Amino acid sequence: MNLGIDHLFGPGQALRRDIERERGMLGRMAYAWCHDAALADDLAQMAVEKALRAAGQLRDREKLKAWMLRILANCLKDHVRERRDFVDIGSIEETVAADEPTPEEARASRELVRRVRVAVAGLPFGQRQVVTLVDLEECSYAEAGDILEIPIGTVMSRLCRARRALREVLEPVAEDTLGNRLRSVK
Amino acid sequence: MNEERKVSEELLGAFVDGELVAAEWALVAAQVESDPALREEVCRLRAVKERLRHAYASPSGRIASPRRAAKPGWMGLAAASALFALAGWFGHAEWNRPPALDSASAYALRGDWHSLRGDWGSLEGGKVLVHVSSPGREALGAALDEVEDLLRESDRERRPLEVEIVANGPGLDLFQAGDTLLARRLAALKRDYPALSLVACRQTLERRRARGEPVELAPGVSLAPSALHEVVERLRAGWVYVRV
Repeated sequence: MNLGIDHLFGPGQALRRDIERERGMLGRMAYAWCHDAALADDLAQMAVEKALRAAGQLRDREKLKAWMLRILANCLKDHVRERRDFVDIGSIEETVAADEPTPEEARASRELVRRVRVAVAGLPFGQRQVVTLVDLEECSYAEAGDILEIPIGTVMSRLCRARRALREVLEPVAEDTLGNRLRSVK
Repeated sequence: MNEERKVSEELLGAFVDGELVAAEWALVAAQVESDPALREEVCRLRAVKERLRHAYASPSGRIASPRRAAKPGWMGLAAASALFALAGWFGHAEWNRPPALDSASAYALRGDWHSLRGDWGSLEGGKVLVHVSSPGREALGAALDEVEDLLRESDRERRPLEVEIVANGPGLDLFQAGDTLLARRLAALKRDYPALSLVACRQTLERRRARGEPVELAPGVSLAPSALHEVVERLRAGWVYVRV
């Protein structure tokens, strides 16, 4: 039970720590949204700072993650409002292509990661946000709706379209590229 | 069979995402069970989810940045997981063998406790593999709760049951000797239910040690060459698979 101590003395030590702990999660999500590692770090940092300042407003400790994701989504929104050029599919291709040679397995996996990211980057922004919240962070539809400030029906239809698009790109890959690899699992 | 679809794409997605309440869930589950095409759809949806998760699992997704070269372990795990995902989902098509997943375990994928419980009465053989790979004390605690319930129930009803918990990645925290509460619960479970085995992924262990993280496993935890290996073996032996 929250006895209100946080409200009197600012965020308690435990809450501060919990907020800090979500930084990695925020960075991952921000990256999935914008595909720019430096920007993702900045956004995560910004969101953590905002959350620490606003910690008194968090009513339900259980909802910390969703609350922080919502702050992150707003940070990104602010950023987009300032400049619109944050998604650069080309740069994803480049960073991954610049890899040093690695064992075959790692390379195949990296290739898969690259393709998934390119596919995600190709989604309309709204769809990308929904599908990453639900699949990466396992947000419920209600949470995703809260975080992005959209109705659940919108969450469901965006999700549906996002998956349809991803499957169109990814399923042939699974069968061609990885069909062979699968047999080696035996 | 190709006429009007009984389950909409949205509904099927919600099924896979664990977003349906019991009544809806049962309705969709019944249709999925009776329709192989729908089952295939469920598998494919799960595969997409899983791939997405793997594609962004590393911090800020910097898989290729030389600055982050100090994170050697991750790709191996991703490779293992990607292979595993395929082995699990497309495996029966590729292997020309009886399907590794029976109809019950197909629902039980991805930590869907609700469905596992629903199907529990119809399980033959009573072998359940619980794969713990996600981080978070709550998830681990919840997994233990469920395992405990399953064990207790089968004990009461004198039904044979074997449960194995295999942990890798962040899920390995479950077996850390240092975490007193979890470790104590595990020890108690292991003592009360000899049919419970605990298996840690050697690759995760070695990766953690290589990063200089001290790892001390709770007593009674054995090692498998890798979690992937263990899961594939068990699936092929007809175990029900639950991912947490």
